Amino acid sequence: MVLGTEDATPVTFWFAVSPGASVQMDDLVVVETRKPDGQMVRFYGLVDHVRTRHEGVTFDSDVADVVAGLLPASVSYAARVLVTRVSPENFIPPQPGDSVQHARGEDLRIALSADKMKRAFPGGLLADGQVLPVNYQFVNGESGGHINISGISGVATKTSYALFLLHSIFRSGVLDSRHEGHATRALIFNVKGEDLLFLDKPNKEVEGVERGVRAAKNLPQGRYDLLGLPMSPFQDVQFLAPPREGGSGVIVPNVEQRLGGVTPFVFTVREFCARRMLPYAFADRNASLNLGFVIGSIEDKLARLAQGGDAPHLTVSDWKAETNALLDESVRFSELGEARIETFPQLVAYLDYKLLEENEGAGDRRWTGNQSPATLQAFIRRLRGVQKHLSPLVRGDLTAAQAEKYRPNILGGRFKTSVVDINRLGSHAQMFVVGVLLRDLFEHKERYGRQDTVFVVLDELNKYAPREGDSPIKDVLLDIAERGRSLGIILIGAQQTASEVERRIVSNAAIRVVGRLDLAEAERPEYRFLPQSFRARAGILQPGTMLVSQPDVPNPVLVNYPFPAWATRRDEVAEAVGVQETEDAGRDWLGE
Amino acid sequence: MRIRLDPWPVDTQDGQLTLKPFAGLVFDAETDLWAAIPTRGIPERMRRILVVDGKPRMEARLLLDDGAGALSVAGFGAFVVGAVDLCPHGSRQAQLQGVSARRVLAYSGDAPLEVARLSPRNPHSGVLEYQPHAFAGAQVEGARAAVQTLMLRREQAMSAELASPLPLDETDVDALPDTLVLQDGPVRPGEAGRAVVGYVKTLHTDYLGADRIGLLTALRPGERTPVLRFKLGDRGDGAGEGREQRFTWYVRLCDAPFYQHPLAGVMRLEMHAPEDTDFVPRGVQDIADLSGALLCRLASQPHKDPRAPQNLIPTAALEQAMGRAMGSAEMVTRRIRAHLAGQYGSRVVA
Repeated sequence: MVLGTEDATPVTFWFAVSPGASVQMDDLVVVETRKPDGQMVRFYGLVDHVRTRHEGVTFDSDVADVVAGLLPASVSYAARVLVTRVSPENFIPPQPGDSVQHARGEDLRIALSADKMKRAFPGGLLADGQVLPVNYQFVNGESGGHINISGISGVATKTSYALFLLHSIFRSGVLDSRHEGHATRALIFNVKGEDLLFLDKPNKEVEGVERGVRAAKNLPQGRYDLLGLPMSPFQDVQFLAPPREGGSGVIVPNVEQRLGGVTPFVFTVREFCARRMLPYAFADRNASLNLGFVIGSIEDKLARLAQGGDAPHLTVSDWKAETNALLDESVRFSELGEARIETFPQLVAYLDYKLLEENEGAGDRRWTGNQSPATLQAFIRRLRGVQKHLSPLVRGDLTAAQAEKYRPNILGGRFKTSVVDINRLGSHAQMFVVGVLLRDLFEHKERYGRQDTVFVVLDELNKYAPREGDSPIKDVLLDIAERGRSLGIILIGAQQTASEVERRIVSNAAIRVVGRLDLAEAERPEYRFLPQSFRARAGILQPGTMLVSQPDVPNPVLVNYPFPAWATRRDEVAEAVGVQETEDAGRDWLGE
Repeated sequence: MRIRLDPWPVDTQDGQLTLKPFAGLVFDAETDLWAAIPTRGIPERMRRILVVDGKPRMEARLLLDDGAGALSVAGFGAFVVGAVDLCPHGSRQAQLQGVSARRVLAYSGDAPLEVARLSPRNPHSGVLEYQPHAFAGAQVEGARAAVQTLMLRREQAMSAELASPLPLDETDVDALPDTLVLQDGPVRPGEAGRAVVGYVKTLHTDYLGADRIGLLTALRPGERTPVLRFKLGDRGDGAGEGREQRFTWYVRLCDAPFYQHPLAGVMRLEMHAPEDTDFVPRGVQDIADLSGALLCRLASQPHKDPRAPQNLIPTAALEQAMGRAMGSAEMVTRRIRAHLAGQYGSRVVA
């Protein structure tokens, strides 16, 4: 019953728990109150605080007398409710004495605004084993878009939850209702370990873990069954990884744990120039204004240079072999006076020549513009800095067929989910890959429109779109955050600390999820959407538990989600796949 | 001249100590030896202790006008009687029993009044229903006395109803009852033959005399005096012949602090005695033996209760619960005002 000793308001109230009943934090409850004219108003809410105390005693030490059986006292068990919905919308307070019930069935749907959701997918299980619906229209860009997940690394399991959401979106049937399941894609960047390279393999531990959880929580069904999701790994997944360094002829993906089924990806030197990837090689934030001009003009020049050909390499006529004695022997001359640029170091050397060496150190006036030699030197110095990282990725020594085969193909093909493994790349190369792929994706969607949603999963947003400073990747991410939802690109971003990510990216996310947070971090303004009691609790959340805030429900809801049905580590892969995998690996080595 | 504190706060009606000499005769009932007797502890058979108390309150003084110009006095009042049910061995939770308020419209005069029903201003607060009760006389304080009388009567009925029977003969070996009632104040007529002990918190009457009272100072916590017997209302002039006999003894609950008078922490207990006998029945003896241990357990602490240790822990809780059962006096007064205003057509309400 609603308490009369605490204020009851339309947004929050306390209620007393009857003897024998129990209520825990995060339970959803409903209260019905009658207006003087007889109309009923129902309040739906979430329990965010529970407490017990001895009632009618004055001193703390009275507890000893109560326990000794001398002092009569009753235990007051009360809970505080944050109202999530008032129906109909009459913002009168509930009356003391109104009876409070657990919200179940239809009440639960209303409490979570599920009745307002035309299309929803399960976002996890509530504390009492009921399903939290997440409004798909706030995910796919119709009413809102983007998901942002914050939490301490390791215990917050941000990536696991992002993958669970993807699994739920793909497999819950929400896509079929829109007839778009066949064309919806996901692009996942793997930035840590090789965990995500086994998404298509069943997890041998999932059944045991889920059985244990079901018994411990006394659930009527397994969690996957409750959620209505198959306990199976991802389907139609392709794995992309950058090639191993060295190895001139065969291109082998640079992965350790997974032996087969990983496709290497490279960009050709011509693509690098034609598709203006140069800025993404300069991802550091403190580029000066002048350097920006140089990058812009060189990018332009390279793009022009790359026109009129389709070979993976570039051909230049104004560069003599003897002018650059540093070049290795792989420089081949097809004709007199023409040089092929087949590797990234050669491209750098060519630029070095055009900017700093030609005309006895003055450079080619058309290339240098009016920039001071110091700026040009800075440009070359930086380019040489990233040369080591980018040379395996940007190559010209391929056949046209190879170039076609190893070009990352995310939107076409039969694969719904693409995992791009960049964890072994240096941070410059990671930025380059993320920036280039997202930019391509964005430009593609700008041309073809929004009908097919693409989900981009990217961890460590604070690295790619830091609050301070500028970088070309941040520009792409900002574009996605601000315009992406109208184009059908949905960013499922994650970071340890939302306070260090560009504000516009976080604030554009319609759905915000918080796992375990550092308590100091939880007090920052980025988490104001959490009520105070939730901010305090964010410090004690266990792995597998998340606070989910969505626009339809004014208060965040605590959910847990099942153990991944896909392997997240090499040793979780069910054994049966071993032989096939070895064969696949052999075929890869043979270059098939 | 030594100055000592009376332990009770000055705003209580009387001090703890007055010691007016008792005019009648007091007999040794248990033993001739005037010395402290240690407690024997609480035997296992004693399963249930009930601490009974009551609380009256006047809520409004009224003047009744019969329309012909005759005025009479009346009053709205309330009283609560309740008990705390506890196990002396601490094996279960103490519980409040029967704590509910009764409301009385006490009036003088002959014309019977109807029940006054004060309806609530909104459906979430209850109805107040005052049962009419006529009293004789026309004193201004008559209504208050009537409420007080009703309360005492109810208290006595409750004590008698809850307590085990207690045979008052010499021989019964199974005399110790399993349910004992501790009742605030002296025992009342009508409770004889039941296991009811009255506990008197104040020492207003000195039953001992100057030669014996020194033992009270010497008692250690839990110790008691031998049981004495006296006749209620005996003024030493023989006029009280045939009135009730009582047993009484004193128990010390705690050591008196040095700044208080040396009788602080001493309580007098009282039980009914059979008519004209000079033995102490087995049941009374057993109760006297356990009283030290029991009361030391129930004694309150000075920082929690200004009338500690005599105001027992369950009593304080009971008083609080009774106050709550009667509701806020201020709110009730407003309800009464609004009720009368509503009855007589005025728009002016509280």
